[in-house]
Amino acid sequence: MHSGCPVFPLRLRVTSFFRSEFNMTMFTQPHHQLNRRRFLKAAGVTLALPLLESLAPRLKAGEKQQTPRRMVCLCTPLGLHPEYFFPEQTGKDYKATPYLDVIDEFRDDYTVISGLSHPDVGSSHDSIFSYLTGAPHPEIRAGFRNSISVDQFAAEQIGGLTRFASLSLSAEGFGLSWTQSGALVPPDLYPSSIFARMFLEGRPDEVAAQKRRLRDGQSILDTVRERSKKMQPALGVRDREKLDEYYTSVRDLEQRMVIAEEWSKKPKPVVDVPPPENNLNSADLIGKNKLMFDLIHLAIQTDSTRLITMLLLGTSLVPPIPGVSLGHHDLSHHGKDPTKIEQLKSIEIAKMDTFRDLLKKLKETKEEDETLLDRTMIFFSSNLGDGSTHSSRNMPIVFAGGGFNHAGHLAFDPANPPPLCNLYVSMLQRLGIEAESFGSSTGTLSGLAAKG
Amino acid sequence: MIRLSSSRSRATCVVLILLVALNRSAAFAGDTFKESIQPLLTRYCFTCHQGEKPQGDLNLETLAAEFTGDAQRKPWQNVLDHLQSGEMPPEEKPQPSADERQFLTDWITAHIRDAEIVERATQGRVVLRRLNRTEYEQTIRDLLGVNVALQDLLPLDSSSDGFDNVGDALHISSFLLERYLEAADVALDAAITNGPQPAIIKQRYTLQDSHQIRSSTESVYRKSDDGRVVLFSSSAWNAVSLSPFYPTDRGDYRFRIATSGIQSDGKPMTFRVDAGLMLMTGKPHLVDYFDAPAGETRIVEFTDSLQARETIRILPYDLAHANTVNTIGADDYTGPGVAIDWVEVEGPLHDDWPPESHRRIFGDLPQASAPVYNRSDRMEVVSNDPLVDADWILRNFARRAFRRAVTDDDIQPYVGLVETKLAEGQSFEQSVRVALTAMLVSPDFLFLRETPGRLDDFALASRLSYFLWSSMPDDELFTLAEEGKLAGDESSTVLHQQIERMLDDPKSQRFAHNFVGQWLQLRDIDFTTPSILVYPEFDDMLKESMVREAELFFAELLKDDLSIANFIASDFTMLNGRLAKHYGIAGVDGWEFQKTMLPPESHRGGVLTMAGVLKVTANGTSTSPVIRGAWVLERILGVTPPRPPADVAALEPDIRGATTIREQLAKHRESAACASCHQQIDPPGFALESFDVIGGYREKYRFAGWRRDAEIVEFNGRKVYLDLAVDPSDILPDGRAFANIDEFKQLLLDDKDQFARALTTKLITYATGGPPTPSDRPHIDAIVENIHEKNDGFRSLIHEIVASDLFQMK
Repeated sequence: MHSGCPVFPLRLRVTSFFRSEFNMTMFTQPHHQLNRRRFLKAAGVTLALPLLESLAPRLKAGEKQQTPRRMVCLCTPLGLHPEYFFPEQTGKDYKATPYLDVIDEFRDDYTVISGLSHPDVGSSHDSIFSYLTGAPHPEIRAGFRNSISVDQFAAEQIGGLTRFASLSLSAEGFGLSWTQSGALVPPDLYPSSIFARMFLEGRPDEVAAQKRRLRDGQSILDTVRERSKKMQPALGVRDREKLDEYYTSVRDLEQRMVIAEEWSKKPKPVVDVPPPENNLNSADLIGKNKLMFDLIHLAIQTDSTRLITMLLLGTSLVPPIPGVSLGHHDLSHHGKDPTKIEQLKSIEIAKMDTFRDLLKKLKETKEEDETLLDRTMIFFSSNLGDGSTHSSRNMPIVFAGGGFNHAGHLAFDPANPPPLCNLYVSMLQRLGIEAESFGSSTGTLSGLAAKG
Repeated sequence: MIRLSSSRSRATCVVLILLVALNRSAAFAGDTFKESIQPLLTRYCFTCHQGEKPQGDLNLETLAAEFTGDAQRKPWQNVLDHLQSGEMPPEEKPQPSADERQFLTDWITAHIRDAEIVERATQGRVVLRRLNRTEYEQTIRDLLGVNVALQDLLPLDSSSDGFDNVGDALHISSFLLERYLEAADVALDAAITNGPQPAIIKQRYTLQDSHQIRSSTESVYRKSDDGRVVLFSSSAWNAVSLSPFYPTDRGDYRFRIATSGIQSDGKPMTFRVDAGLMLMTGKPHLVDYFDAPAGETRIVEFTDSLQARETIRILPYDLAHANTVNTIGADDYTGPGVAIDWVEVEGPLHDDWPPESHRRIFGDLPQASAPVYNRSDRMEVVSNDPLVDADWILRNFARRAFRRAVTDDDIQPYVGLVETKLAEGQSFEQSVRVALTAMLVSPDFLFLRETPGRLDDFALASRLSYFLWSSMPDDELFTLAEEGKLAGDESSTVLHQQIERMLDDPKSQRFAHNFVGQWLQLRDIDFTTPSILVYPEFDDMLKESMVREAELFFAELLKDDLSIANFIASDFTMLNGRLAKHYGIAGVDGWEFQKTMLPPESHRGGVLTMAGVLKVTANGTSTSPVIRGAWVLERILGVTPPRPPADVAALEPDIRGATTIREQLAKHRESAACASCHQQIDPPGFALESFDVIGGYREKYRFAGWRRDAEIVEFNGRKVYLDLAVDPSDILPDGRAFANIDEFKQLLLDDKDQFARALTTKLITYATGGPPTPSDRPHIDAIVENIHEKNDGFRSLIHEIVASDLFQMK
């Protein structure tokens, strides 16, 4: 008997309408042809990518070329066990906790921040909606409207500097990036297709087809834009707002297509690594992290984008990690059971290992006279301060790199902290964006200063 | 019988009178406010609700007598709700007299209602809504006639008021628009053919040729000369895929499996079929579970959409572990098994070539050779008179895609687009495809367009079909709309017939699936996986069965017009063998569901005690009366539960078995600050404490770990420990006490209308894409009143909803 919804396959074999360029969002499944492209190993490393003059903001005469600044925002959705994360002492000489011990070799390159949270974001898994936006009360689902996330806000300013305005990555279906109108930016799930769009040139006929798609796309948008304009006058105020949203979306996409067309004329950067194989094991949070973190490093190294968000995996499944026999979500609700906490620790230590590897790679890669880490801010945290109670207070934060004078353990009073959005304002300003406020901010974050 | 929905002329008249009246009252609003309202607010409310940090974030001092727009009305509605419920001012503060309270509430009510009437006359109650991704996929499938998966190309939709088809929450962005372009391309690729008909496979296979059976080193499969294979093990690695079947083309394939239950003691045996890529990296999806009847052969038949190189896989349910069978050997094993005599496959299925989906767009226009890089046999549609042909192609398509009659003005821009593309040197087919894609991303396709006032025939046809089918109107409904037979004064018989027809159509399963999935939250069924240590009996078939029980129960009430009180308490439910075992009810075996009468001591019946509901309201490890109580208030009683104060941390359940949740919650209820809310929220949750996180009935809590004195029960050879006793009794805020869930359900039935109003409100939200407001209460009351004489029948409720102004006006 077959009741309810017919079971439809989740898998897709899809050719992206706009296969490459302007936006790193695609659900394309593994390209099996990738393997035959493995010959694509350039001689040596060709990494220093010149800024594309036509797309860079015009520099005024005498103005200096600005140092590229980047931002990576990571979220591990089931929290980090607070007792193993937060140090007791504040300042530079804190004693490393089990989780911080994993990344202790980079102690001077990050600040551990305690006490912060979003005001008006209630305790619930739904706090993930507001993680990078600060929008109030996602936990009251009715009437909640999200606002723009910090990466998309920045992309509006500096997205045009790179081939991809931003990257929204995810190990599962959900994502962290939101548009101005509060719509989810569809996240990229598959490393192989992201890699293909960043680094692989298609066959000549594919490239031609892609160019044609971009041209057709612009004609299509032109037609429907006119159509929506005609519909406008007959509508009431609220309906007109909806249609305005449509109209604006058409305009935005048109602009992105123009930029994409520009970029499609430039050769893609060549990297000396094989294309990644996708990891389709839905429980394997560590495996997925590694693949995506490697891609993040490559994307930054080739200056393909400067703004990246990534939602790590947090499922109810049992991750393939030695010593772990229970589901991740189940473990996060440990209810103080020591066996469960022990298993949770194994998962979270393994996760911190992958984070350390990312820091290490960025630290070891030079760009001009600095390291990539010096020029890349990494915000690593969770929407939950304590997964066991769904508390969204006192979020566990490691804020690394970006050329800040890192301060050891920067502690705020969890009962009366400044809004987390203050940190986002500090980050935006570091990107060279003259933002005075963002979300629920009241200023920049005190105690954290950029170098020179 | 009360009928609020009246003829069009009368409704218009009422609006006009009100508009005149409102203009007058508006002039006086300011004066009354200053002279009479503000002094009352000052006296009774300002102590807490003013200044920099007012209580509840509500500053009444700055609240103006402005009622235009939802945002302005919201704080007033808030004030009204609290005054009416008596929650405010709080007990310990000075209270307004009954007259004063009445004066205040009347004033606010009137102003909210008046403002809404004005707005609705000019804007309608609901806002322009776009198709959500479920509706988008179904619409494209019905429009093009292709079986193509598109949902996962589109980002998740946001929900509001419990449903993801509420216009307010459905936004659009350039990213979404880009995905629409992509999805349209995928859909048109599937609909339009560019080559000769693929070779049709029609073959009977024996599982003996499958890779697993040929290469297995375990003796778990019994083979006989006639090609039959008996599967004895349910161990995952013993699943048998139909590896000799390896299609080279995508398409729909029909499968027929000859199967029977062996050595099964007269009981049917169950197996599951998955389809997909059977490599290590593949992610096959569940096709369904099927029963193999004991001792007799049955032909199981199903159709599934496959990509090239995909196949199916068969795994019996609940048979022995591979080791058990292997030790004895398949030939000597005497336990139950599933016999598969053969599997037949036919496909890709096409009625004709080019397939119907292609002809639906291009009619009988000829195809000619148009080879590309790696496809020498590629063909394309050609035309001798491109613009003339493009015109009728686009006109036909637009009429259905836009779900309304189309004019020359509607078509012209798209024909213009074809012209541009032809001028750029693109082929006829390619040029037409660009125009078709444009239609599929146009606002006419993506939005359900309704004009303020009474809906016209086309808007009504769409509202009806998106309500009951989650898709566009079919030909019959569309033709009726074209003939103007849906919206006229004489339309009620036609509408009635159409609703009957639509509910009888299998497409109405989408209504059951999408509504139940959200109303009862069953979409979250995968959100948690219970710990195997504490709930070893939980398995995938149980999970699948949970969801289907609720959907089938819903469909059953709908089919036979049974009373909606059955949602609260019923003497039957829909069960299969797995659920019956879970519920401790004898006499039902196998996967197939049947309507089963419930013994009185079962504690089941109604949605509250369905395993699926109990699972989604628990977190996988523990249950919380607070969460479940809030769930019952919101979804069954239509009461928005009060929010927890921001500075209070959630209770952390202690699963070590030291204290019960009741003991932990008792502290809450001792404190006066917490008690006012918790005495409202907790009781339904306590009634449901008799059910564990997978919806099993319990009298004692299971706990993780082991203690010397713990009671032990076994499931599938795994031990589970029990200790503290469950106490499901409590007292409702109005003082009525109940001892357990059965008594609690009876108390709910004392006020059936409350549930009826709550359900009606949910249905109207879902049906129209906008939640009713408190001013709509008279309409809701009328609907509820009208179904009383129909024995509160569920099908009658659907008819009444469609007949009401809430449904028939924008």
